[in-house]
Amino acid sequence: MMNLEQARKRYLPMSETMFYILLSLKQERHGYAIMQHVKELTDARIELGAGTVYSSLGKLESDGLIESVKEEDRRKIYVITPMGRGILREEALRIAELHRNSEGLL
Amino acid sequence: MKDEKVVWFSAFRHVVPADYENWLEKMAAEGWQTGRFRQWSSMYMTFTRGEPRKYRFVYDPQVSPRKDYISTYEQFGWEYLGRMASAHFWRMEYTDKRPEAFSDKDSKADRTRRTIKAISVSFFIFIALEILYAVMLTIYRNSLSVSDKKQLIIAEAFFCLLTVALGVVVLIVRKNEKR
Repeated sequence: MMNLEQARKRYLPMSETMFYILLSLKQERHGYAIMQHVKELTDARIELGAGTVYSSLGKLESDGLIESVKEEDRRKIYVITPMGRGILREEALRIAELHRNSEGLL
Repeated sequence: MKDEKVVWFSAFRHVVPADYENWLEKMAAEGWQTGRFRQWSSMYMTFTRGEPRKYRFVYDPQVSPRKDYISTYEQFGWEYLGRMASAHFWRMEYTDKRPEAFSDKDSKADRTRRTIKAISVSFFIFIALEILYAVMLTIYRNSLSVSDKKQLIIAEAFFCLLTVALGVVVLIVRKNEKR
């Protein structure tokens, strides 16, 4: 488990993979459902691999950004924690700033 | 034509994980299929002749996977082939788009790190064995028979050779960590 300061250091700025996994876990989901959700959100631009999903979930869980809520036929179901939400929000603020500063480029 | 092919020291010939996967893929495309991966597959492995298949293989070192490891991969459509030491093997048949288990730079780099870690563990185990044998040879040098000594020296030489090989493997993997 990390405290908020450690989590900031480790996760901010965030990779697209981590961002979308955390975002998907605002709702309870298992690994495969996360991949499907991210694929849909990004118009199939990002197709998360099994190994990437598995290892990211492991990291996020042991650092306390997500937690597993139950198990359904050997599949673990995860959801974001309050700390995970906090980190995701800070990342969203950073992206909003990027967005503001890139106006006029498009 | 022979229907079976034995490959020695495959993991030492194709040391970078991506190269090992590509080699397996090429074998499968030529019709050489593997059964299960086992503890010693890195040293001795058999292929049998079958239909040529287009498979994507994945080499994933996981020392102690969580219990949802297998089910996560299986849900994504991967077929489990077993483990060779701490490296787990997966394959998926495909037609156009080659499937990837590691979809971003970070997880590819992590896979390399885990590979180096796994090889380093055996590296240190062999060094420990060498020291143990050297100590035994020194302590019992007067009481051991000539043939016992010979055996110990042969074992020692074998471990030394493996240690050097593993050291070289770590260096090569490290150099190619981006792949």
